[in-house]
Amino acid sequence: MGSITALGLVLLVLMIIVGGRQGITSFLSLVVNFGILFFTIVLIAFHLPPIIVTIVSSVILLSITIFWSSASDNASTTAFQASVIVLILIVIIIIPIEYWAQVGGFGLEDSEELEGLSTYVGINFTKIAIATAILSSLGAVAEASIAIASGLDEIVSQHTEIKSSQLFIDGTVIGKQIIGTAVNTLFFGFFGSSLALFIWFYGLDYSFGEILNDKVFAAELIAIVVSLIGVVTTIPITTWIMSFRLKRLHKSQLKE
Amino acid sequence: MTWLQILLVVAFCFLAAFFCQHNDALYHQTIYRVDRVQNGKAVKMTDEFQNVDHYHNQKLFGTITNGKHAGDKLQIKNSYSDSHAMDHQYTKGQKLFITLHTQPKLHATVKDIKRDAPIAFLFAIAISLLFVILKLRGVTVISSILINTILFWIAVKIDHANNGAAVIWIFSVLAVIFCFVTLLLVMGWSKKMLVTLSAVLCATAATILITLIVFGLTNERGIYYESMQYVTQLPKPLFIAEVLIGVLGAVMDEATDIVASLATLKQERPQLSRMDIFKSGRQIGKSIMGPLINVLFFIFMAETLAMTLLYLKNGNTWHYSFSMNMSLGMTSSLISGIGIVLTVILSSVFAGLWIKGDER
Repeated sequence: MGSITALGLVLLVLMIIVGGRQGITSFLSLVVNFGILFFTIVLIAFHLPPIIVTIVSSVILLSITIFWSSASDNASTTAFQASVIVLILIVIIIIPIEYWAQVGGFGLEDSEELEGLSTYVGINFTKIAIATAILSSLGAVAEASIAIASGLDEIVSQHTEIKSSQLFIDGTVIGKQIIGTAVNTLFFGFFGSSLALFIWFYGLDYSFGEILNDKVFAAELIAIVVSLIGVVTTIPITTWIMSFRLKRLHKSQLKE
Repeated sequence: MTWLQILLVVAFCFLAAFFCQHNDALYHQTIYRVDRVQNGKAVKMTDEFQNVDHYHNQKLFGTITNGKHAGDKLQIKNSYSDSHAMDHQYTKGQKLFITLHTQPKLHATVKDIKRDAPIAFLFAIAISLLFVILKLRGVTVISSILINTILFWIAVKIDHANNGAAVIWIFSVLAVIFCFVTLLLVMGWSKKMLVTLSAVLCATAATILITLIVFGLTNERGIYYESMQYVTQLPKPLFIAEVLIGVLGAVMDEATDIVASLATLKQERPQLSRMDIFKSGRQIGKSIMGPLINVLFFIFMAETLAMTLLYLKNGNTWHYSFSMNMSLGMTSSLISGIGIVLTVILSSVFAGLWIKGDER
């Protein structure tokens, strides 16, 4: 048995112990997400337009992550709508930034790994960098929107008469609570995955200016800051959608 | 959000970018501004895997903007491909870092693009959003990031001084300090914080232990350390350290959530038994763990996209491309997942054992 299979089994068993059926669903969502991610890469390799393929698969990835979580129907629908809007926002921000910074492709630090590979493959790597940044933000956006939507849904189901303006204030309070820790998840993920790169920079005496302008570092930094922007904007957008849905619900109740 | 705020944010972002466009004097490296570009004809080329690309030559006319040769006009030749994998197409107005050669006469080669302006712009957006949406809370968030970055840099420094000999130990100590500082900032000094801290530390330690046992039992089959990027020291301990730091944030996130909710629950209904508290903790954790594992999964996997694509385009099989690029990301994701699930169990147990109804 390979190590990956073994670790996967350990994770599956632990998830079943903690979550029962929900544990199996969560594990499956991880497996399916991986499948979609890999399929996305294959489609891009077949020269389908990278950004469009990424956006389409992002919507699917978001829906799997959100609808397969244990959130209630109202919460998960709200979370999904909110995260798709955030996704659009991220796309709008990331495209000009990536073209401006030109962080696509590989840096000098990758030279050793690229030995023997042809880099003239006819796929625009700036677009690939855009795809990478969008994909790496998906999990964080989905998690934040589920957390806020579930919190608000809890409030709505307990106080059905709540005004949508009050709900907006509550949403911001919940958002403030989750943001501090969500930012930590992102930044530690970033520190962890770039540890080797940081040691490289330190070992080779890069100056602050050199690190900041370095292609590989800049690419990772941009991806993580864009995710951060995504998570922060998730707070007002999710709250806004939830209060919009509440307003509509009140209206339809009035009619009856 | 008022119009004045929006105006202030936009002004702040452009000011940050403008400053970076004109900070050339702060750099020791020579910077060159492209004033005019002359593009040559494109040449079609095909590699051994039938990938079609186009090769372009361009002539840059520009001015050196800093250092001894500031103001000197210079002509530089550049070539680029459509894929931009290792090269860039330069355009008018861009600033580039160049290496100057004075022998036999002044000429130069381009090293890289100056990228600080877009980064500053993006940072400005993020910081202003944090302040607009979170108000004062934004200060805590930003200071926590700053403190952690400094700690991280110090640890890298110590690791380098040791030639990477004790990388796991250094980063384990760092992990403990990271948790202590972050949780102190988020929760303040309280019993809740201590419960969270012990849950986080035990869960992380148990995760690393389980990982090492699994690696031992399976002889690390399917783990290709040679595919790790930017490795300057022994890869295996470095990989463990990477995962250790990477999962820490998610585990803290989760433990804070669970312990805080359980403390509130116990406060409201002090008659609940330890077992009840444990069960509620599991209930909360069950719903958070799935999305949380996906956060790290996407961070770890997305960055392998470019290299995997290149492998596929170089005629490698799906299996080989996965093994050499994505398998380590997959391994990290699974290990993080184990850590996240263990945290649910441990923080529920610890909260059940140590949190009493009469304190906040």
